[in-house]
Amino acid sequence: MNDIALGQYVHKNSIIHSLDPRTKFICLLILMISIFLIPSPADYNPKISFIILGGFALIILIVVILTKISPLKYLKSLMQVIFIVSFVFIVQMLSKPSDETSLLDLNIKVSIIKIIIILTVFVLFFVFRKFLHYKLILFITLLVLSTYFLTIDFGKNLFKETPILHIYKYGLYKGAFFSLRILLVIMLSTVMTLTTKPTDLTNAIEWLLHPLTFIKLNVSIFAMMISLALRFIPTLFNEANKILKSQASRGADFKEGHLKDQIFQMVALLIPMFVVSYKRAEDLADAMEARGYIPGERRTKLNILRFKFSDYLTFILCVGIITGIILLRVL
Amino acid sequence: MKIKLDNVSFSYNEEKVISNLNLEIESSSITAIIGHNGSGKSTLAKLIVGLLEPKKGTIYLDDQVLNEDSIKIFRNKMGIIFQNPDNQFVGVTVKDDIAFGLENKNIEREEMIQKIHKYLKLVGMEEYIEESPENLSGGQKQRVAIAGALSMECELLILDESTSMLDPLGTKEVGETIKKIKNEDNKTIIIITHDLEEARLADRVIVLNKGKIVKDGTPKEVFSDENILINSGLKTMDSVKIINDLKNVDYKNKKEIEAALWELTFKM
Ligand SMILES: Nc1ncnc2c1ncn2[C@@H]1O[C@H](COP(=O)(O)OP(=O)(O)OP(=O)(O)O)[C@@H](O)[C@H]1O
Ligand SMILES: [Mg+2]
Repeated sequence: MNDIALGQYVHKNSIIHSLDPRTKFICLLILMISIFLIPSPADYNPKISFIILGGFALIILIVVILTKISPLKYLKSLMQVIFIVSFVFIVQMLSKPSDETSLLDLNIKVSIIKIIIILTVFVLFFVFRKFLHYKLILFITLLVLSTYFLTIDFGKNLFKETPILHIYKYGLYKGAFFSLRILLVIMLSTVMTLTTKPTDLTNAIEWLLHPLTFIKLNVSIFAMMISLALRFIPTLFNEANKILKSQASRGADFKEGHLKDQIFQMVALLIPMFVVSYKRAEDLADAMEARGYIPGERRTKLNILRFKFSDYLTFILCVGIITGIILLRVL
Repeated sequence: MKIKLDNVSFSYNEEKVISNLNLEIESSSITAIIGHNGSGKSTLAKLIVGLLEPKKGTIYLDDQVLNEDSIKIFRNKMGIIFQNPDNQFVGVTVKDDIAFGLENKNIEREEMIQKIHKYLKLVGMEEYIEESPENLSGGQKQRVAIAGALSMECELLILDESTSMLDPLGTKEVGETIKKIKNEDNKTIIIITHDLEEARLADRVIVLNKGKIVKDGTPKEVFSDENILINSGLKTMDSVKIINDLKNVDYKNKKEIEAALWELTFKM
């Protein structure tokens, strides 16, 4: 709960840090779109699909190195999506692309003794998971092993017809392709949050939204709201942690217990959170008013944005990349 | 800035938090307002800076009625630092927080940078200029809040228990700064506290009890009135207790000892 991506800015002297936040924001969007425009291996030459994806991975790797930030930080944000990615991978792997013979057939033979063994292993895993390291790797290994265990002959078959789990070549390609794609997008946005100060980010958003002033929308208020959100989200997380800890010290445990208990405990967290936030908001509004803030009024700015040569260069590079991808799709 | 409250009352609900208050504060002075928890000190401060509107009575700033129109003129001349430093930290970093008020005041960028450095240095926080509030202690956040208010260079500055989390050295430094700006720039300063030690640097001390003024005088006059202080839920100072006890004994150097004790009381 402590590790939220917002406001995770790491101060370093790098080319990426010194880029204008607007450049980073626009380029992030362009590169994300480009990654999603890479043709899928299912309806294109898989080799080329993967080569392009590899190219992007290489570019992102270079960018990551240029940021001078420890790779562990990036790894941490990748770990947050690992479950989703595994899920995508498995679903894609098992899906059947248009008429194709399967690469690998798994004959699932279910027997009572097998079910008991597998269940015991998993129950043991969940009981002892607090004391285990590398839980995720262990879990995946257990999953693979138990799948394999299901295919061998052991005990009396329950069903007459053995269900078959097909793994297709193209399914495997697609699984790898889609999961890699998600990981790359996450990496890109992590680069953005790690190298851009929240204030710069809000300034960039304000600038990008500027055209909206023509339809009489007050962008500066919106930017102030984002900025306050960025300021207070970490504080509220700390607050939630404090409440959780104080409730835990009185015997409540959020991770255990029945669903009913868990819901009850969530409510017990939400109510104090709401009260605290409301009091905070009131005080904050007073402080802002006392310090002369009038919504929508003209204000000078401490942080001003300036495009440099490197910004234009980065921008041109990114436009080049997306043009290349679009051409590839059209031709 | 001169302040005058004419028969001012205020209540959040039914119960009166400030009742029929009459008060005049001269410009270029340090006034301490002391009182128990819930005596209405913060409410009074919010009334003076126009964050709350009196239910009854009138507030005059520089002989002008404080209302929705005139507040626009006065807003930039008044600064207030609140009790909770966390809830008034607007910026994502220390630098941005000080800048917030200056930006509202439309100060040019170069001047702004200069002021940010000047006032952060004054409160000893210059090395934390890029830090985010998550990484600061309560006292450090209070220092930032003080720097932010000072940077506005207001004519009236109200400190609402805003040095409560400072260490002794920090409290002393802030006290000296306050005295300095009062003398040099003719500022009006109001210190709100329930700590008598902090009230020592004031020219005048006002005791608030349940929204009413129960004592008004020099620090010496107020501190020696033990009954009022105890009835208002405040703690007397040890040295003053001795001075009061001294009155009941026969001792030939009584006068000198009393004078020496008073001197010690006000020596910081
Ligand atoms: N926003 C509010 N809504 C309702 N009642 C309030 C509000 N703020 C304060 N009060 C009530 O008004 C009374 C005076 O509060 P105030 O904050 O002015 O006291 P204080 O002298 O500053 O106390 P402290 O020493 O604790 O800061 C208290 O009884 C309090 O419960
Ligand atoms: Mg108060």
